[in-house]
Amino acid sequence: MGYEWDFGVVFRDFDLLLLGLVNTLKVTGLALLFGVPLGLILALLRLSRHGVIRIPVGIVIEFLRSTPPLVQLFWLFFALPILTGINITPFIASVVTFSFQSSAFFAEVFRGGIVSIEKGQWEAAKAIGMDRGQSMRRVILPQAVKRMIPAFLERVIELMKTTTLVATVSYADLLYEANTIAQATFRPLEVFTVAAAMYFAVLFPVSLFVRRLERRLGRTGEGTVH
Amino acid sequence: MEHIWDFESVFTNWRLLLIGLGNTVLLAVVCLGIGLFLGLFIGAARYSKNRLLNVPASVFVEVFRNTPALVQIMWFFFAFPIISPFRIDSFTAATLGLSLNTAAFCSEIYRAGIQSIHRGQWEAAKALGMRYGEQMRRVILPQAMRRMIPAFMNRAIELTKMTSLASVIAFGELVHQAKTISTIEFNPIETYTVVGLIFFIMIWPIAIAVRGLERRLSRHE
Repeated sequence: MGYEWDFGVVFRDFDLLLLGLVNTLKVTGLALLFGVPLGLILALLRLSRHGVIRIPVGIVIEFLRSTPPLVQLFWLFFALPILTGINITPFIASVVTFSFQSSAFFAEVFRGGIVSIEKGQWEAAKAIGMDRGQSMRRVILPQAVKRMIPAFLERVIELMKTTTLVATVSYADLLYEANTIAQATFRPLEVFTVAAAMYFAVLFPVSLFVRRLERRLGRTGEGTVH
Repeated sequence: MEHIWDFESVFTNWRLLLIGLGNTVLLAVVCLGIGLFLGLFIGAARYSKNRLLNVPASVFVEVFRNTPALVQIMWFFFAFPIISPFRIDSFTAATLGLSLNTAAFCSEIYRAGIQSIHRGQWEAAKALGMRYGEQMRRVILPQAMRRMIPAFMNRAIELTKMTSLASVIAFGELVHQAKTISTIEFNPIETYTVVGLIFFIMIWPIAIAVRGLERRLSRHE
């Protein structure tokens, strides 16, 4: 059966798709903005010497990592208004969910980077009179961050892919707009293909960049963490 | 605002949840099987010297790794049926999307695992008179497999979480069943809490096993 492709309908509504892409990037950006600092805090707490801090934080991280983000999003979107009485928009629900969800993964990236630094660095920092906080800030983290960059960018890619879930709570991201246009024009094949291509156009360059960075770090003898 | 927790209304619907759990596991196992199998050939094709093999394989891997899984599933459900020679229900669409996605990621794991084996092993196998296929099957893969297992288990974890996306196209896995229950009983908090816990109980032990394996492997090598 010959199918007549018609990408014209997609490009008539292309501004809607672009708007969707902007919304996708907005959610991704905000989730990063909150998720990364929160991830660092979680990582430091998980490395704490006190079990009362380490263990509960560990459980929170494991729970966020071991449950589907879609369940987390639905939970927050449907449950939070009932529990707190505050009505939240799909946008807020998405940003909050993905901030927490990604923070757990960022925490593991931070932790992996921190524990990859040789013990001698800690001892050297201590020997010149730094306390634990100073050693972390001035000696360990600056070195660890470099090793974390590839893993960190991988997580950003994953995060952006995960934000497609916001379409399920009717936030107008790229996927949501694509779905709307597909239903209105009866051209799902063209519309979804173009939407996929738009995601690819954003994510593929990041992937390539990560790979180059990993090769370069590998060549200079610096390991990377995953 | 005081919320009265009511988990009973979730558990009276345990049959629905059980069906959902069955479907979640079914989808995950089928897609993992197909993904592991296809991934090996795609990985081999991608690193073959023949451009007719490595170019399409690379395009396939990059497309599936750099587009969201939900877009893939929706593409197979809404878009693909238009050009598909066979009928596509929600299970088929989810299986296609998630299997191919998993295959793309697994092909990279095979590659990394195989590349991590020392060149001397290939040469030794060749010196014994083995052909490429034999070298791979008898010498390289058995050694590489051990190193790849933790990465494959991580894929299994990601895949299990991704099966929840099939709820968007109304495949009756856990999250879809949860939607149904919470609509009937008006208890989204309790239902999604229970479903979250079910996923956690399924996935967390695998995550712990992965860490244990990784520790053991890094001690050995």
